[in-house]
Amino acid sequence: MSIDAVPIESAGALAVERSEVRKDLLRQLVRSPLFLIGAFILLVWIVCAIFGSAIAPHSAFEQNLENINQAPSSAHLFGTDQLGRDMFSRVIVGSRNIMIIAPLGTILGTVLGTALGLIMGYFRGWPDDTLGRIVEAFLALPLVVTALLVVTALGHSNAIIILVIGIVFTPLIARTVRAAVLLESGLDYVSAARLRGERSPYIMFVEILPNVSAPILVEFTVRLGYAVFLVATLSFLGLGIQPPSPDWGLEISQNAQQVAAGYWWEVVFDAAAIISLVVAVNLVSDSIERVLER
Amino acid sequence: MRRSNSELDRLRQGRSELENHYIDELVAGNVSRRDFLRRGSTIGMSMPLLGAILAACGSGSSSSKSAAGGSSNSSGGTPTKGGTLRVAGVTPAAAVNPLTVADAGGLLMLNQTGEFLIFDSNLKLALQPMLALSWSPNNDGSVWTFKLRQGVKFHNGAAMTADDVVYTFQQLSDPKNASNALSTFTGVLTPSGVKKVDQYTVEFHLEAPNGNFPYLVSSDNYNAIIVPKGTDFAKWQKTFVGTGAFKYGSYTQNVGASFVPNPDYWGTKPLLSGTSFKFYSAQGPMILGLQGNEVDVVSQFVPAGASALLNSSSYKIIKLNSANHRELSMRNDQPPFNDPRVRQALAYSLDRAGMVSALLSGDGHVANDYPFGPRFPSTDTSVAQRAQDIAKAKQLLQAAGHTSVSATLATEIYQEIPQLAQVIKADAAKAGFNINLKIEQQSAYYGKATFGNSDWLDSTLSLVDYGDRGVPNVFLEAPLTSSGPWNAAHFKNKTYDGLVKQYVAATDLQTQKSIAGKIEQLLLNETPLIIPYWIDGLTASTPNVGGLNPTAIAQLYLNTAYKSA
Amino acid sequence: MLRFILKRLGLALITLWILSVIVFFAGQVLPGDPARAILGPLAAPQAVHALRHQLGLDQSLLSQYWNWISSFVKGDPGTSYQYQAPIGPILTAALGRSLKLAALAFVIVVPLSIFAGIVAALNVGRPVDRTISVVGLSGTTVPEFVSGIILIVVFAVGLGWLPVSALAPPGSSFLTQIKYLILPAIPLVLVLFGYIMRMARAGTVEALESDYARTATLKGLPRGVMIRRHVLRNSLLPTITVIATQTGYLIGGLVVVEVLFRYPGLGQLVAQAATNKDFPMLEAGVLTIGIVYMLVTLIADIGFSLLNPRIRLSAVE
Repeated sequence: MSIDAVPIESAGALAVERSEVRKDLLRQLVRSPLFLIGAFILLVWIVCAIFGSAIAPHSAFEQNLENINQAPSSAHLFGTDQLGRDMFSRVIVGSRNIMIIAPLGTILGTVLGTALGLIMGYFRGWPDDTLGRIVEAFLALPLVVTALLVVTALGHSNAIIILVIGIVFTPLIARTVRAAVLLESGLDYVSAARLRGERSPYIMFVEILPNVSAPILVEFTVRLGYAVFLVATLSFLGLGIQPPSPDWGLEISQNAQQVAAGYWWEVVFDAAAIISLVVAVNLVSDSIERVLER
Repeated sequence: MRRSNSELDRLRQGRSELENHYIDELVAGNVSRRDFLRRGSTIGMSMPLLGAILAACGSGSSSSKSAAGGSSNSSGGTPTKGGTLRVAGVTPAAAVNPLTVADAGGLLMLNQTGEFLIFDSNLKLALQPMLALSWSPNNDGSVWTFKLRQGVKFHNGAAMTADDVVYTFQQLSDPKNASNALSTFTGVLTPSGVKKVDQYTVEFHLEAPNGNFPYLVSSDNYNAIIVPKGTDFAKWQKTFVGTGAFKYGSYTQNVGASFVPNPDYWGTKPLLSGTSFKFYSAQGPMILGLQGNEVDVVSQFVPAGASALLNSSSYKIIKLNSANHRELSMRNDQPPFNDPRVRQALAYSLDRAGMVSALLSGDGHVANDYPFGPRFPSTDTSVAQRAQDIAKAKQLLQAAGHTSVSATLATEIYQEIPQLAQVIKADAAKAGFNINLKIEQQSAYYGKATFGNSDWLDSTLSLVDYGDRGVPNVFLEAPLTSSGPWNAAHFKNKTYDGLVKQYVAATDLQTQKSIAGKIEQLLLNETPLIIPYWIDGLTASTPNVGGLNPTAIAQLYLNTAYKSA
Repeated sequence: MLRFILKRLGLALITLWILSVIVFFAGQVLPGDPARAILGPLAAPQAVHALRHQLGLDQSLLSQYWNWISSFVKGDPGTSYQYQAPIGPILTAALGRSLKLAALAFVIVVPLSIFAGIVAALNVGRPVDRTISVVGLSGTTVPEFVSGIILIVVFAVGLGWLPVSALAPPGSSFLTQIKYLILPAIPLVLVLFGYIMRMARAGTVEALESDYARTATLKGLPRGVMIRRHVLRNSLLPTITVIATQTGYLIGGLVVVEVLFRYPGLGQLVAQAATNKDFPMLEAGVLTIGIVYMLVTLIADIGFSLLNPRIRLSAVE
């Protein structure tokens, strides 16, 4: 799936060809049941994220202290939590946060990590050594310490949580990308490009990047799952999103204790929501990847 | 109560002026039996004497065994000898140094081998002799004399005398030491005020009269275990030398500790052949530990997140009346909360009864925005309890010229507090308050714990926890007086300061009660801070455990504990 | 080879030094104060002042750092502010526990996930592949405190098969210790399985499509032999890197699991040191994690070069 350099004059023809290709891709995707399932789940969550409180049967925030820890019933499909709030509504409304924070954080980490990895793997020598030391230092720094440092230095907000995710992911992704780039840069096509006198950024981003996109894509989808996880862990550590937000990770961290008392519904539905979202994203990205490979 | 006056007269003989004053109050019906026991014990009257007086007054005495650490709830089968009791405790947050300990985990360790002059029993709601046999004030309560128990030996073999007691309190009250007890002793006691009279008598010369001084040297002041003269406090955790019924077995940082019976103990020898403590850094795993038979006892827990124990009949729960509470302070020096009507509006918006039932599973009492509660005999109970009244809250807000008020509430991640903050936010919204929550890790919330460097002390709204105390003095002073170091409300009121001074100095209950009434009324009018509820102290065990003696500040005495098969 | 290892060790030292500087100076923004952390927020100011002096916190930052690092390089990690005890024994005990748990998790997850990854790759696009992928991914998204609590409630409290906590009584046999560590290892296996499996799968798919695999098939090499000789080795390459990068997390990032299973490991120690600003402890903890991490990545890189004919150590240098 390497893309060869395209002569400028044929760009117009290429555009037409591309739109054809795109239509063809779509046709192939629509035929894949797994893609459809994934896309459907994703769509449901997107709708929930956009219209959240309009769809929810109850308010996600309204408490009822006389009706706490109620098991799922027809009145409350997912039961109520320790403050008597409707879990079903909270799960629906809670989708918005995760749909914004997790992907943005992951994208930030992937972009920064890929750039760093390319630079380190391609140039080697002193850039690799210097950046490598810093990347390694960050990799060795436990998450709690990094998160504590960033959150206390910059404060609590959703933007900061995105930043924390990005900072935590950058060195991880950089290291994977660097290893992949090291493999590639020994190959003939890179030497050929060098001999042609191509400039380094061109070789890095146009020649090598497409060839290391497979591990990057894997990193991205897996990291997306971790991002959701990370948001939950940050909340658990008291460094994440603020209550009473119905954020799934925060809900899980706040209600985790309740499972021991048998109030499983206060955790399980949020966990299922997270899993369904990540699996859906993955089914979609997988299918696209497959179609592209053909 | 006229029946046995001759008996009463006999008992009155040789009693001090203050003691006779108390007896008068009891006879006149000014104090209840419970309060009489409590106040009498404070000024050093012994339990048998108090019991006899009550009996003479015709109110049949229910007074109890007087031995220190007297046992409680002995319904756990028949006491059996032997066995190792496994106890879940909070991981001590720092070194187990009697001088510096400031956390529940650390103080639980101190009380395993160490003993105090006086034991403040939450179960009996009275002071009981421990290493001091008796204590008494001079007329104005500025000098207190303590008679020590004789024949007490430290675990290192040395006899305990006045020298050790003097050494302990001089170190604890020395401003040059990193002593946690300084927050109690500052303005009350200095090292030079601690004087040895003879081998078994110690005098405390106070900086100002203090009617409740015995509480300050009781188990309430958890740092004040008596240690041998010359003890290096920093190295104490290697030996745990004290005078208690158990002595050091082992201590492993972050993991646990074990203790063995002290064969030379002055009191009743323990039934257990040993105790083993496991440290947990959160309450959830502790409860799971009890459920999974990893421990026999959970030394202390809060109702939040403990439904697994509270809803089950397979565990024994000991409930203590405690002064453990939460304070929501409002910046009295800044708009919009500089207007008392706005502060009252917030107070009226809260559904306290709902909070107690939902957040505490009913194991607590609604509170009334002043630090006097059911735990303290000096509380004036005639002042009416505030209840939720949204209409009134709205009206007050309107009168203050607001239709809505926005503010940020900072608080800590601790026990049920994050949930409480959410309930406050929701309740207050009904009256027109728009509250943003800033729920932080404790270290971030407290910050440097000085004005200007702390979310706790600087935020517009700040919600903090206060642990149990035997007397309300600290609650009245530190967070509310003009110079109070924890005055997060920035409340400055000369009348109030004066009343508190009078209250602290008062040695008799009637005076304390009448001043308390004035303070309560003043605080309701001003509402510098909101106290939503008092939280019971809870201890859980498997049904075969008995004789546990916990206190509401998270100590646990195991002298009389046993484990039946 | 030796030159490579020496150079890497030298670089590792620099990294550790950078790490110590980051922790110490960036760590100053952490909230609170060590003396406050010990005495509690309600302590009297004089007491805090006295303790700060005792701990040497009233000296300048640079001299504090110098005092610390000069004794650290001599092999003395110093005394913990918080515990008022030498750091060495506390740290080694915690490290030992963390290594045990991490080792058990690795022993379970590495073979399992590589096997699953290869199986998935050999069945690309088929239901087996999809199932493995979905299951793996689902695992990575379940926070440890959810899976952990459910495991405890079901297997320890409900069924009583395994202990509630992870810490075996002192002097326990190897098998008993493993019994105690099984439950806490499972959440880690869940978290890592999906990731390592995906990498192994991607590596295998790539190797299967590579020229040499095609050539081998054309040459008539039996599929089993071809997979063993060529594919397996190449599929392991990216997997090794991934495993190496997870060591840091496994050694120092398990705060949640450690709290839940009452397992006083390195993660909790470092987290506590960070919240209490116990710098000697924090530095020692973070550097220990760093050292373990760097050793593992060094070994991984050597393994990487041995397995991969296309890349020599000179290239990694």
